[in-house]
Amino acid sequence: MKLVLSTSNIMSGGPSVIRRPAFEKSNTELTSSLRANFNTHQQSSTTTTTTNGTSTPSKPSFRTWTTQQDSALYIPTHTASLLSEPREAYDITVKLFYLPNVPASKRCIQTREAIDLVLRELGTPSIDLLIVSFPGISFDADDEDSDSELEATPTIPTAPNTSSSPPDGGCEDADAAPEDIATMITTWRTLETLHDEKTVSKLGISEFGVQRLNKFLPLARVRPSVDQINVRDCCVVPKPLILYAKQERIELLTHNDCTNVLPRGTLREILGSGDKGVGVLAGDADAAEGLKGEIEPQWVVKYTAVVKDRGVVESKGYFAVAELVES
Amino acid sequence: MGLLAIGTPLEWSEAKKVSSHVRSWGIEQLLAIWRNAKGKERDALLWGDEVEYLVVCYDQDNRKVRLSLRQADILAALANDEKLLKQGGGVPDVQRGPVKETETTAPVFHPEFGRFMLEATPGKPWGIGFKDLLDVEPNMKWRRTIAKDHMAKEEYPITLTTFPRLGTPDCTVPSYLVSGPKLRSQFVPDEIANPHIRFPTLAANIRSRRGRKVEINVPVFRDEKTQWPFKDPTVNYDLHQWPEDDDVRNGAAKENHIYMDAMAFGMGSCCLQITFQAKNIEEGRKMYDQLSPLGPILLALTAATPIYKGFLADTDVRWNQISRAVDDRTPEELGEKPLENDRWRLPKSRYASNSTYISQDSRLRPEYLDPDLVFDADLKQRLLDGGMDNLLATHFAHLFIRDPIVVFAEDLQELDLTKADHFENLQSTNWQHMRFKPPPPGTDMGWRVEFRPMEIQITDFENAAFSIFIVLITRAILSYDLNFYIPIAKVSDNMETAHIRDAVSTQTFWFRKDPFSPRPRASANSGAATPVESSRPSTPFGPVEDEFERMTINDIINGQTSSSSSSGEGFPGLIPLVESYLNSMNVDVETRCELARYLDLIRRRADGTLWTAAKWIRHFVLRHEGYNKDSVVGEDVQFDLVAAVERITKAEGRDGLGVEMLGRRR
Repeated sequence: MKLVLSTSNIMSGGPSVIRRPAFEKSNTELTSSLRANFNTHQQSSTTTTTTNGTSTPSKPSFRTWTTQQDSALYIPTHTASLLSEPREAYDITVKLFYLPNVPASKRCIQTREAIDLVLRELGTPSIDLLIVSFPGISFDADDEDSDSELEATPTIPTAPNTSSSPPDGGCEDADAAPEDIATMITTWRTLETLHDEKTVSKLGISEFGVQRLNKFLPLARVRPSVDQINVRDCCVVPKPLILYAKQERIELLTHNDCTNVLPRGTLREILGSGDKGVGVLAGDADAAEGLKGEIEPQWVVKYTAVVKDRGVVESKGYFAVAELVES
Repeated sequence: MGLLAIGTPLEWSEAKKVSSHVRSWGIEQLLAIWRNAKGKERDALLWGDEVEYLVVCYDQDNRKVRLSLRQADILAALANDEKLLKQGGGVPDVQRGPVKETETTAPVFHPEFGRFMLEATPGKPWGIGFKDLLDVEPNMKWRRTIAKDHMAKEEYPITLTTFPRLGTPDCTVPSYLVSGPKLRSQFVPDEIANPHIRFPTLAANIRSRRGRKVEINVPVFRDEKTQWPFKDPTVNYDLHQWPEDDDVRNGAAKENHIYMDAMAFGMGSCCLQITFQAKNIEEGRKMYDQLSPLGPILLALTAATPIYKGFLADTDVRWNQISRAVDDRTPEELGEKPLENDRWRLPKSRYASNSTYISQDSRLRPEYLDPDLVFDADLKQRLLDGGMDNLLATHFAHLFIRDPIVVFAEDLQELDLTKADHFENLQSTNWQHMRFKPPPPGTDMGWRVEFRPMEIQITDFENAAFSIFIVLITRAILSYDLNFYIPIAKVSDNMETAHIRDAVSTQTFWFRKDPFSPRPRASANSGAATPVESSRPSTPFGPVEDEFERMTINDIINGQTSSSSSSGEGFPGLIPLVESYLNSMNVDVETRCELARYLDLIRRRADGTLWTAAKWIRHFVLRHEGYNKDSVVGEDVQFDLVAAVERITKAEGRDGLGVEMLGRRR
């Protein structure tokens, strides 16, 4: 079964504000706003059962606040929140995170699915900028050669990644090896098609250093206009990259997202039946309600709609899709 | 402060008679503007900053520095500079060049109350493009360069809030006799004020209305050798030229205080003001309310005023001194005499912290408002009859409790509803820490909000940092729909707290614990798809007192840690809120780097790593060899201080001077 998780518009919800140094990478925004949205929906469908004169609020079945449509379960039941002003008033940026351990062959269909969800959510026919994040790449400003082939040696995870996420919301970016350029370009073809169809005006990549850009650009038919990088201190971006980007007319933008934005363990915990979970997945012991199986995060998409001439973020949110594989 | 129309100003005795007349015409003009502009929508964010300078004049031979009163000459030079005009700059009150659509427009200059002051603003408003934000600092530097280029060799524009020895003998060039007919001050000559008839009339009529001179007493800083109790040794008790010379014999000068007696001591202060255009009237009202509680915080954080009239003060900011310098309240209004002729007792000066909230926001609880707010019931009724809602009508009826101070006889002949002169007469002489500005008639401007509490900083780097910080805060407020409401009386309390010496490190301020609105219940998203539920939060309100607590400036700016807050995660901090906002925007690395420098300055001012200008100036005086531990800031100390300040505006700490304020600069 496919699980479609959504945050709704997170701008009005407090928990997404990060209380830590700005450039530290974090997936707190995603995880906490997923939790917040699930809890809100769960609470609004909470019923109070009266037994023997004492009323006890019971945790409602996840069925009451999620919707199953064909083979997909929408968590929570999703209603679009459309933009309030005409399309041209906005600058809409979408960032698509391809997650590790998902075959690249699935990306074409996943990309279309992700863009489609966002377009329907915002009620718009097009987006201005689509940035993609490939698994396993991590920009390191201290090491200008960080994106060289040397790094491609896969780091083998020491334990199966089922533990919960680090408590501070930090990133687990080291658990996947970067893909080779050919695989990335295969994915890029899909994006180029979206560009041709005018669904997307500009394309972008993230975490590319000079070496990787140098190999990637000659193969790209539609060149990326943006390279989004994470640097702890944005004033120490390596000079060669700045010069190269200027020369290739690629805008270097900042971000603070994890590359592996939704590790399996984190997702399992959010959906699980434990204290911190919302009870969509069955626990190990209880045979009660709850879905069973192994959960495999597929992709995450983040969208942001900014009112251009006022600099106000009107809408921002995430969709995440995972496969639940019967074990 | 733009120059309003020229005409024949009425003496106070005459102006007083027509005050109701002016007020009622002002209200009619306001209604006309409001009707016209209340439906204005989708105005872009445009904003502007105002930087004010003191013009100082060095006398190297005698190691003296004085205030230069050549404002008029300098403005004339600016207004006649062909090259500047060609670039769009100049002096709007005299002449300026055309505003450029695409190219850079040169800055423009304005007269101010003090004849030793100059104000400079960008030649056209800023937008929200991040490129615009990065243009602010170079533009401020450009302004200072242009200003300097139109001054004499020995003159320099500095951005200190006050001239340390203003009001001591021989503090201006040219020198004039004190005790003039307008100010009747025993410390400063009438020539200290801009000679445009509006300014001396303003000062004279405030004095007349009040029935005596204004009275500014600042607690003196007590040092080892300060005579104690301190009796301001500069006060002359033996003057008999004007009736007001009796003031000091009647106890106007308070013990242990520095005593000042003229508008120039307040309105001669420089500050940093920011004005924003809102998308519509609702957004303007929201910004006015949400920025209001930030006022005292930014006042304390920008503290830069530790010296008055040649003495170290025991306070750090200018605010209350300006408040007293234009306090036109009569003894009856002040509560010193029973009410007989005047209409009401007035708890605050015309220049004071805000007393109203104005947003039609479900989060504005009645408990936040001042239950004893003074307003003119008849004028409020007129506004209500004209269709205005209660909150906004109350706000303007509150501003309109004051008398118009400067009235020109020519303006009273006919009510012109296409103008705003009578409305502006009252509006612009209500100097509160926020100002809600209706669109001027006949322009395509939108509703605007002015943020007025900040003190001017010594360097343009700092002035840009604070300006940009406030702009980013407004964007975060609107994006996250932040809620900073606390009872307005607590904002006033905070304003007093901000005066305390080194308040930024030693004091706590009332602040709201949770700035977020409760998450809307399921399906109550902002979209139009499911208009089932109202925007009203479904959670019931708890007691107001539980919503706020005392926080340090560091907590407010950088965020509470779970240990420093009384509950939960605590207040997230204004800087983290701004950073979160920036993380949601597409910002290029170079811009982000520049913005990080600004935010870092504010972060480190708040956590005490970097000093406020007040602390630095105080330290400079205390360490100076010419200082005798007696609270007196002598000519010699002032000379070196002003020269150091000039050096800091140029080197910005890179040569080590002022590094305690600015940190290590690249």
